[in-house]
Amino acid sequence: MAGKRKLSERPGGGSGDVQWCFSQVKGAMDDDVAEADIISTVEFNHTGELLATGDKGGRVVIFQQEPESKNQPQCRGEYNVYSTFQSHEPEFDYLKSLEIEEKINKIRWLPQKNAAQFLLSTNDKTIKLWKISERDKRPEGYNLKEEDGRYRDPNTVTTLRVPVLRPMDLMVEASPRRVFANAHTYHINSISVNSDHETYLSADDLRINLWHLEITDRSFNIVDIKPANMEELTEVITAAEFHPDQCNTFVYSSSKGTIRLCDMRASALCDQHAKLFEEPEDPNNRSFFSEIISSISDVKFSHSGRYMMTRDYLSVKIWDLNMETRPVETYQVHEYLRSKLCSLYENDCIFDKFECCWNGNDSVVMTGSYNNFFRMFDRDYRQDVTFEASRENSKPRSVLKPRKISTGGKRKKDEISVDSLDFNKKILHTAWHPLDNIIAVATTNNLYIFQDKIN
Amino acid sequence: MECAFDAQNLISISLRKIQSSRTQRGGIKLHKNLLVTYVLRNARQFYMSKNSLQTQRRPPCEDAAVVRGRQEYLELSSSFTELADDFYCNFTGVESDTWHCGAHQPSAQPTELARQDASACAMVPSDSDLMVAEACWSCADKSSWELPIPNTQANQKTVLDLDTHVVTTVTNGYFHSDCCAQPKQPQAGAHCYTGKRKMDTSYYIVDPEFYLPDLVPVPFKRMRSEDEDDGDLQSDSEQLESSNISNLISVLGSGGLSEFVSWQQMDLEQIFGSQTICLKQTLLAGSGWTRAIEAF
Repeated sequence: MAGKRKLSERPGGGSGDVQWCFSQVKGAMDDDVAEADIISTVEFNHTGELLATGDKGGRVVIFQQEPESKNQPQCRGEYNVYSTFQSHEPEFDYLKSLEIEEKINKIRWLPQKNAAQFLLSTNDKTIKLWKISERDKRPEGYNLKEEDGRYRDPNTVTTLRVPVLRPMDLMVEASPRRVFANAHTYHINSISVNSDHETYLSADDLRINLWHLEITDRSFNIVDIKPANMEELTEVITAAEFHPDQCNTFVYSSSKGTIRLCDMRASALCDQHAKLFEEPEDPNNRSFFSEIISSISDVKFSHSGRYMMTRDYLSVKIWDLNMETRPVETYQVHEYLRSKLCSLYENDCIFDKFECCWNGNDSVVMTGSYNNFFRMFDRDYRQDVTFEASRENSKPRSVLKPRKISTGGKRKKDEISVDSLDFNKKILHTAWHPLDNIIAVATTNNLYIFQDKIN
Repeated sequence: MECAFDAQNLISISLRKIQSSRTQRGGIKLHKNLLVTYVLRNARQFYMSKNSLQTQRRPPCEDAAVVRGRQEYLELSSSFTELADDFYCNFTGVESDTWHCGAHQPSAQPTELARQDASACAMVPSDSDLMVAEACWSCADKSSWELPIPNTQANQKTVLDLDTHVVTTVTNGYFHSDCCAQPKQPQAGAHCYTGKRKMDTSYYIVDPEFYLPDLVPVPFKRMRSEDEDDGDLQSDSEQLESSNISNLISVLGSGGLSEFVSWQQMDLEQIFGSQTICLKQTLLAGSGWTRAIEAF
């Protein structure tokens, strides 16, 4: 792969020696944001060639990275629209008189097995398996059909010929291959493909189901935390993920700030966890909103499978799977918001669910914040940096300037005060290319792509 | 005082959030509402403890105007307190001795709360929005938690079950059917909550609004004819969920929180007469589908 720099070639490959540059921005430039255009999920495929986004309107847009130019071997290819399709439509549950939103909650790519690409997309209730395939040839010379598709009168057929494939303009087709429905009473928050490439899990607020990719009419319930008496409900499931290598292991996080690791070999129903990861609450930080800010919004295994990362409202924590008592690393994302929790509760921002992601070699983690800020934490160099995704900084290949937030006292030049942060501009969804220093950051309705500067 | 008022604010904000969640697209968000009830619980706990402390610390001689102001404040506060009380205790079947479930805790509970020492209050240095003063969250004072709550008298409310059209009176968490909007409705309410729930020493969130029954039919039948077998009594927790939802809705109504506070003084005829309450429409329509709309 000429020109492609592997993360392993750079010490750490993290923020210590990387200069991030603006690459592209996708989406409307209007300040008026249509709700349907709000991006709700972002995901690279396993090679990083494809980048999928889902939005509140139920659409999936897939971008494909162009091959590197021979003229400019050091420049990475741009991401251009590859396919767009309507994944989910709004539905109405007549039994409960509930509208089911079409918003795409999660997209997960399947490992590629053949020429076609497959992904799973889910809204609150239904998961769908989509096949995205290319067609660049079409058959010509049918005996019984005209070129426009009309059938010929058989009596007019006097000779036979063998149809031939002729090139045509590339057409990308997305077709739903499976629909996994009617298995979740509560809102689906996670899907995760197993390393066996045959099964996947889906998690809602109270249950986790195991599916086989080929079987749509049944699933196995593997976790059920619904109490017999709903009045005793104290926590819900917030995220779940399979281990990247161990097909029997998965984790799920809860609204109480705990993470449970389960082994499907132990029993059919994994209500009893194999490991419980929980950090005791600091009594000095107790407040009216302690339960809210300790709720975990995302959990991600490292690529190595040794660590996992959790995101709660104010921090990112790295856990060693071999140590349940406390995280090995904790990074404060926006601690200055701790004094603003009441306001954030009033305007509902405290309920925002931020995601987090690892870089390819697990040396850097990234997560979003407000004011279109996103943060990177270099685990090796113990450095952190804040960047902003904005149109003002979107000159091609312009280097991103780190941002600083003034937390009190005198505000220095170029610092932003906490009071001037725009809480309507939030970055909830980020993704990191699995093999390269390319990141995708979703603001409300725009997708920013940044990459490291190539010298 | 300011912190107690902020706790009141939080309670009202929280209840508004729960109220508005009913009309959100996509249905009630279980996770979000669970978190809101935690805030509600915390604010209520704090408010009740402050109320108790202030009652104890009232000086012997006070200016009449100050006393009047305090009384008005307490009346306003008590309406919010009742609102929060009702939210927790009416719809959980909590035993009468745990009526003030937000504030009274068994001996096990203060151990957990004792972790919150006075220094916890200093968590927010400067934001006035967040009840910062050191006196606010002084949970280390265990005795405050054990003080009896002022409003200890029996609390009665009239509750209209939207599914069965049965009017019941809630007394200290127990339902007693008073009358029925339709004939041939026996006192089914008395059958509800016959089993006393074991006191849970750990905090639990008890908002039946969040219950999304898996497969419960919408017109949930709570009343039975006298000929029916006792074995048909609802024991299904999902049916209970539906009744809780119905009860919560009937109390909260559709007119918002402002109506709730005054609701307790209204008798049923006034309720029916109120244009802002769509229960009347629901009753007259008697439609399960409409009822379901109300529920969610």
